Amino acid sequence: MNNYRIGLWIGVALVALASLAPLGLNDYQQSFLLQVFLVIALAQAWNLISGMTGYVSFGHAAFFGVGAYASALLLTWGFPWWLAVLKSAGIAALLAVPLGFLTLRLRGPYFAIAMLGLNEVGRIVATLWVSVTHGGTGLTLSPELLPSLDVKYFTMFGLALGATLLVAWIHRSRFGLELRAIREDEEAAEMVGVNTTLNKVIAFVLSALIPGAVGAVYVMYTSYINPSSAFEHARNIEMIVVVLFGGSGTVWGPIIGAGTVMVLREMLWAQFPAAHLAALGVLLLVVVLYLPGGLVSILRDRQRSRPDARSGESP
Amino acid sequence: MELLEPEILLQLLIGGLLAGALYALLACGLNLIFGVMRVINLAHAELMLIGAFGAYVLFHIFGLHPLASLLIVVPAIFFVGYYLQRFLIERVVGRPMLTSLLATYGLSIILINLGLLLFSADFKSIPALQGSFLIDELAVSKPRATAGLISLLLTVGVYQFLERTRLGKAIRAVSEHAQVAAICGIDVRQIRMLTFGMAAAMAGAAGVMLSVIYSFWPGSGVDFIQKCFAIIIIGGMGNFVGAFYGGILLGVVEAFVGGFISTQWAEAAAYLLLVTVLLIRPTGLKGVARA
Repeated sequence: MNNYRIGLWIGVALVALASLAPLGLNDYQQSFLLQVFLVIALAQAWNLISGMTGYVSFGHAAFFGVGAYASALLLTWGFPWWLAVLKSAGIAALLAVPLGFLTLRLRGPYFAIAMLGLNEVGRIVATLWVSVTHGGTGLTLSPELLPSLDVKYFTMFGLALGATLLVAWIHRSRFGLELRAIREDEEAAEMVGVNTTLNKVIAFVLSALIPGAVGAVYVMYTSYINPSSAFEHARNIEMIVVVLFGGSGTVWGPIIGAGTVMVLREMLWAQFPAAHLAALGVLLLVVVLYLPGGLVSILRDRQRSRPDARSGESP
Repeated sequence: MELLEPEILLQLLIGGLLAGALYALLACGLNLIFGVMRVINLAHAELMLIGAFGAYVLFHIFGLHPLASLLIVVPAIFFVGYYLQRFLIERVVGRPMLTSLLATYGLSIILINLGLLLFSADFKSIPALQGSFLIDELAVSKPRATAGLISLLLTVGVYQFLERTRLGKAIRAVSEHAQVAAICGIDVRQIRMLTFGMAAAMAGAAGVMLSVIYSFWPGSGVDFIQKCFAIIIIGGMGNFVGAFYGGILLGVVEAFVGGFISTQWAEAAAYLLLVTVLLIRPTGLKGVARA
């Protein structure tokens, strides 16, 4: 069996497990899984732009915040939850179009720097636009507007699965090949006829769509949103560390990274958020310096070193 | 409108120039690092906060005046920077830009959260300088004037050092072309450590200056690093003088936005300025060392 088939079977098994999980879990455990899916979906979104093209976004949590606010408002205006999710995703993606054209004409570091401020700008706008967002007080959603935990669980699961399948599909498509060409050598990619800016913008918009939807479901889960919880800097950190730790630009990396980081957080440092983030910082340094391929690369190397291992890239 | 009276405009201008001098001190160090190492130091504002918290500890435990604590804090942070370069940044020099961005990002996360563990998330301040200087109709707050002038002096001092001394020349040579500099017998590795140390010391000094003006907490760096990036993009990446003008410009723009619209929008001024410059001239106003 080659790596691709192994991956496929593991994937099917995980999907089956996650679908059956609500039957045997209490609310706390189900909520924990929901958060794991949240991190997986966000990580895949980041993976899509930053892992694939090498353009590091330090502000992707902004799209999450936009989605969360959009959804909170849509719900209070009486839209059904599923429409709120779809529209919030659409709004985040629409916002990404001009932003993408503006920032992605620029080469790597400029993009990274421009994105670094985006989350802050989101927070400032949410704080100042009091007539819509109620400023620092935030928006509280009454319980009758919200779907049940099962619905939220499966929606978040669907988002994580959808984001993963999207990344997997792009990975094998011509589009994905072009994105990786941009990452490896943008000038050469341009030379052979890749429309680099358009490709980058499409990847960027797709990668904004997912956090928009995730934020929309998140606000249903917490039933409250304010500027600092919507545009939380820690969320950016988590996204980035999870992907790099697992293996950036791969399909499985964000899943493995999210699983590991979330279990560590729950077991070791749930009580100390500052220690959790400091640990993520250390993890990031270690990965960047000593394990640039992430956990996935360890598994892959082991596969490669087996004499009977077939060649062929594992997803 | 009363706001358009010349005294008020002058008042805003002076306030802006003084705030801009502090930004310039910070951003010039950042650009020095970028020029010599081609590394964007995302932890630069945290180095600044080490300075601020250093002054805070010295003031509240030993009763040392912040201006006196400059003499302790600045050399100390020079060594912090020197060894950071030796053991961490040196490993990412010459690797892709993203590697160094992520490494310094990791460093900044670690420093912020260590700060939170040590000092909690409460705002800290140092009530050492208070009141204002009155010159005719103008009132200039003492802490802002002191901080602005010292920042200006330090930035000009570093510039003179770079222009006039042999070591400064060596730093500029490495910034121009590291390989040729090495061929000419310059110890490039040593220069990189000195440069990072120096830039860190500038950031630390900026931190001490910050501590007399504003209240601060371990997460304060985010605002500053963003402004610094706006400044170095406006001024041209790697360009020391450009960063200086960029810093002053941002200070003045913020002061006027704050005066005419609101101080909260002044916080967003840096970002708007950045986006505008990126739209018009993606390589910055003063040309650029190619990124």
